[in-house]
Amino acid sequence: MLGALACLVLLLIGTMVAMVLYTAWPSFRSNGLAWFGAGAPNQGQLDDIFNSPANPAAYQYELRAWPMIWGTLLTTAGAVAVALTISLLSAIFIVEFAPPRIKRVLEPVVRLLAAVPSVVYGLVGVLVLVPFVGNLLVSERRKAEVQYVVQLTGDSLLVAVLILTFMITPIMVAIMVDALRAVPRSWMEGSAALGVNRWRTIWKIGVRAARPAIVAGVVLATARAIGEAIMLAMVSGSWFAPNPLDGFTFLVEPTRPLAASIVFYLEGRTVPPLGQTLAAIAAVLLISSLFLSLAGWAAKQPLKRYGIV
Amino acid sequence: MRSKRLLGVLGAVGTLAVLPAAADAQSRGTVTISGSTSVFPLMQPLARAYVRSEGRGTRFRIAQGGSDVGVADAAAGRVTLGMSSRDPRAGDPGGIVFSRIARDAVCVITNSANRVSNISQQQAQGLFGGTIRDFGAVGGSGGVDVVVRSAPSGTQDAFQSLFLGSTRPTSTAQTVASNGLVQQAVRSNPRAVGYVSLAFTRGVNVASYQGVACTLRNARSGQYPGTRNFFVVSRGRPRGAALAFYRWIRRDRDAQRIIADGYVPLR
Repeated sequence: MLGALACLVLLLIGTMVAMVLYTAWPSFRSNGLAWFGAGAPNQGQLDDIFNSPANPAAYQYELRAWPMIWGTLLTTAGAVAVALTISLLSAIFIVEFAPPRIKRVLEPVVRLLAAVPSVVYGLVGVLVLVPFVGNLLVSERRKAEVQYVVQLTGDSLLVAVLILTFMITPIMVAIMVDALRAVPRSWMEGSAALGVNRWRTIWKIGVRAARPAIVAGVVLATARAIGEAIMLAMVSGSWFAPNPLDGFTFLVEPTRPLAASIVFYLEGRTVPPLGQTLAAIAAVLLISSLFLSLAGWAAKQPLKRYGIV
Repeated sequence: MRSKRLLGVLGAVGTLAVLPAAADAQSRGTVTISGSTSVFPLMQPLARAYVRSEGRGTRFRIAQGGSDVGVADAAAGRVTLGMSSRDPRAGDPGGIVFSRIARDAVCVITNSANRVSNISQQQAQGLFGGTIRDFGAVGGSGGVDVVVRSAPSGTQDAFQSLFLGSTRPTSTAQTVASNGLVQQAVRSNPRAVGYVSLAFTRGVNVASYQGVACTLRNARSGQYPGTRNFFVVSRGRPRGAALAFYRWIRRDRDAQRIIADGYVPLR
């Protein structure tokens, strides 16, 4: 009975992947590898696809998805990098240094944060952070300088990365705390017995032993960051590929990642070519998360030797 | 990932709730409705008032989703009536009928610190097309940030045909997902200009269009040029309980009063 249920889940996942790929095929076939390249603004391309004539032979498919892919890469990499630093240090604090009283409050709070729905974060972004960045952080002069290329309204990479970091940090902290706790006590005691101080012990023994679990945590958090849609659709702004050479302006430039683009055009999915294009975007996300799961599985293997995971 | 899953679950629950109801719609007098988020705030009080007065025994299930969802659901028979805030299009599925229920005004709005009093069609095309980059040219002040909706939006469709004509919105425009978010973006950004349904104009500066103020009174008198239609969409002509409801909307005095509260009744 349980086996049958498990098989049913597998079957469902298989069917879903097959369906997404099948639906997405016309978009990939029509664009070829240029699908992943850079080109005209995505907004215009998606609008053209949506406004395709009713005749199937005349369907528009042209899409150069690079700005969206770049947006996904930037937001994900930025958030994961910041979150890794914060969560590693917090996990060490919780496991090794925090007094029991603080520990008792901190841990449940972190786990609660991991469960907050992303619209709530998005709402805070739209109502507080976006106006703050748009009206106070970015000067009128800076806006005027670039207004023929891009609008700096506060919807920005900075806000997106900030909130995304806030969303994935709790997951990473929870996983890292578990991993650091699982490091055999005797290893740490051995180090302490040699006269090594606490910080050096946890850093050289604890963190090093838990490294594979930390990688697994990063992978899980990355998967969540890549797939995050609603919050990013609310705060990250419109289609634009931020340029790192722009200095500070780079941080406040808008971008629209893949998942957020799906949310944006979902309403028009009944127009066949647009539905197929959205499926193509979904397929790219699906395949990247598949690879991430594989990477996460591979990262956990070394730990099995010690029976930690 | 969580929010996508949540959406999926909600979608599944919504479909489950709507599907069986559509099957025996005629026999038990159930009307299922889905579609435009612009029409929804009007449809809800209408349905409530209908059940209280003439339509005792009629059951309603109303979902949202956007004009295109309403059209597609109605065409596929998933709902009895779809809601649409855009006109019929060449690409729509065959065999469906659009029936008008009310009219609504689309207003150009700016931040309340930037009092643009009036714009012409040419100025609207310049602002949203990206050729006018300073509000000085239209009687305001400061640089211009354009806020628009994406193509599947009914409000975008109406704005395109009423204001822009063949001009396309500039590619640098900030695209947001709903009337409320346009309102929020404009309210919080002194440089912003956007467009919303008349019901979403609180807290912002509303510009007149071609010399006529965007108010309910001007929309009702027919002077305001930026008005659009609200439709219910059905597969074939409305039948049974849906027909009774549609007739009530068009003829009953209470229904007309509800519409007149924020929209333009049909005469």
